[in-house]
Amino acid sequence: MDEKKKELQEKNRKQQLLVTLLPFAALILLFVILCIVIQTKGYRLPMYLKIIFNEGVVLAIVATGATFIYTLGSFDISLGASTLFAATMGVMTYNATNSMPAMLGAIFLTAVGCSLLSSVLASVFHIPVFVTTVAMMSVLSAVSAQIITVNGGALGGISIPSAAVAPYDNMAFKITVLVLFFALCLFLFNFTKIGRRQKFLGGNPVCAKLTGIDMNKYAIIAFLIAGTGVAIGAFLTLVYTPSVTTGTAGSIGMNILVAIVFGGMPISGGPRSRIYAAVTGGFSYIILNNILKILIDSNAGYGISQIISAVFFLAVVYVTSMNYRSAYLPR
Amino acid sequence: MNQTMTTNRKIRGALSIPVLTGIILTVLCAVNGKAMIANKTGFNFFVLYTAIVMLTTMALSINLNSGRFDFSLGSIAVLASVLSCRITFALLHGGTGSAVLMLVLNIVIGAAIGLASGMIYVTLRIPPIITSLGVTLVLEGITFTITEGKYVMNEVRNASMSAFAGNWIWSALLIAAVLAFMIWIFDHTEFGYNYAALKSNQKVAVNTGIDEVKNAVICYAICGGLMGIVGFLQAARSTSINGGALNFGSIAIMFTAFLPMFIGCYIGKYCNEKIGFLLAALCMSMLNSTFAAFSNEISAFMQSIINAVLLVVFLIYLSNEDLLKRLLRPSAERG
Repeated sequence: MDEKKKELQEKNRKQQLLVTLLPFAALILLFVILCIVIQTKGYRLPMYLKIIFNEGVVLAIVATGATFIYTLGSFDISLGASTLFAATMGVMTYNATNSMPAMLGAIFLTAVGCSLLSSVLASVFHIPVFVTTVAMMSVLSAVSAQIITVNGGALGGISIPSAAVAPYDNMAFKITVLVLFFALCLFLFNFTKIGRRQKFLGGNPVCAKLTGIDMNKYAIIAFLIAGTGVAIGAFLTLVYTPSVTTGTAGSIGMNILVAIVFGGMPISGGPRSRIYAAVTGGFSYIILNNILKILIDSNAGYGISQIISAVFFLAVVYVTSMNYRSAYLPR
Repeated sequence: MNQTMTTNRKIRGALSIPVLTGIILTVLCAVNGKAMIANKTGFNFFVLYTAIVMLTTMALSINLNSGRFDFSLGSIAVLASVLSCRITFALLHGGTGSAVLMLVLNIVIGAAIGLASGMIYVTLRIPPIITSLGVTLVLEGITFTITEGKYVMNEVRNASMSAFAGNWIWSALLIAAVLAFMIWIFDHTEFGYNYAALKSNQKVAVNTGIDEVKNAVICYAICGGLMGIVGFLQAARSTSINGGALNFGSIAIMFTAFLPMFIGCYIGKYCNEKIGFLLAALCMSMLNSTFAAFSNEISAFMQSIINAVLLVVFLIYLSNEDLLKRLLRPSAERG
């Protein structure tokens, strides 16, 4: 009997290990495929890697911050709009003051302020966080669009001189920012009571509340960290492209969801949440999309590549969640 | 719905929001020398928009009320209308009966897509929000591939479609038919009883022998059918279909249904919830017509902000209704 139990435990352990390693294996595999595809097509590998890194780093940073919200079992759909709004305010501030510190200050204040507003509204007025973020998304997109259209036109957008951000537009700076922000989040998530309590709240909110954990406090902390991620993401967006249009960061809000799930974290949050999921998932998703774009090089190819990446996404999620099936349909 | 309420209170409760909205917006328009609905064309679009909002809200609420978040509603509407208008045009070349055939095909194709989406959900057994992310991307990708990312116009611009959009009777008939169907299927069939049981307590319902998988798949098929109709109505309203939405560009329609869904659920305390959705859609349509009347003064950006603020304010009221009632009650009564 004991032997059978041990055998079962060993099998579960192996499965768990496989599920943990799968997102990393997928990232490495996709990277190797990308290199092969680029070499086969005769394109310049360093140039493509730079493009992919620039696309991936913003998503990875914003999604890493958002992981704290998703760990609580909560949901924020306004992060893309927040990134756009923070970048817009950054450009407006720089153009008014010609000062980089003022621009950075405006970006951080805007991003963190928007994030806090969502959580405080939800906490004070007892409304579902998701609904406040839906409303925030509409408001921030509309206000940004209004500012951009009035000051520069919907297509051309508003911009800052590229010389202003040129010193930061290099891989070393961006990698340093990514590593520092990830290290901070990793520390908070895995080695402090903030992360532990957030996982507890996400896994069993009733039990967590009964042990005296204040849901509102940890929700506000989660939104604060997510706001910081948005601010850094908005700054790096401006560093890469010093102009903002109404379409800037448009897909980030939903891609965060895809990145987190792609990285092997359950969308319901709780103790199975992983801080590295956003980075591995974000880069995997960006690499996959770029592989498909290179392979299917036509206008209609955008559609086909999206279909393939969606099927791949569902397959990865299916495999990584195979240990957690219940008798009931998941909700 | 509360069975102990008097009929008078039910009527007052159900009509208070639409009547109040109507009065406020009519006065607002009158004060500024405008009319909410200026002519027959305005009324045609008013009813058409009411139908679009009511159907989208119903489709959203079916799964959302059961804890299943579905991002794919917009992509179902677009794909169903692209496919059905292409088939209709190939068969009738935009001639007589095009609108009817396109509507029927939209319902069938929409329901088939919804069914497929439901089958993916029950087969993979991963959270519906994730399934719907994947399904949305797939459907948007298929639409983009078919249309090459372009607007579809020739296939939907014909006399038959213009006749549909140009007479409010057709939209009103659709509203009545869908309302009757939804009340029948959710309130008077075994499927509806099972749906209500699963909605209120999934575990108990499944343990009593209710087939959850079958119920969920039917829900998805109904959502798909409803969104198929929405796709048709949108095509009739704007005389084109945007086939270029990628990377979740199709989900915006879902967010327009949140406010009417919450208003409808509130009105549903006093009458049937589906009638609540109709009344909520009427409110949204009145607001939309007022925005149209003030189009020179209120930009599209401003409209988005007003809608979002209304959503938050209404939810603040809903979530704190008891507290507000206690605060507003005279102090003597409280003491």
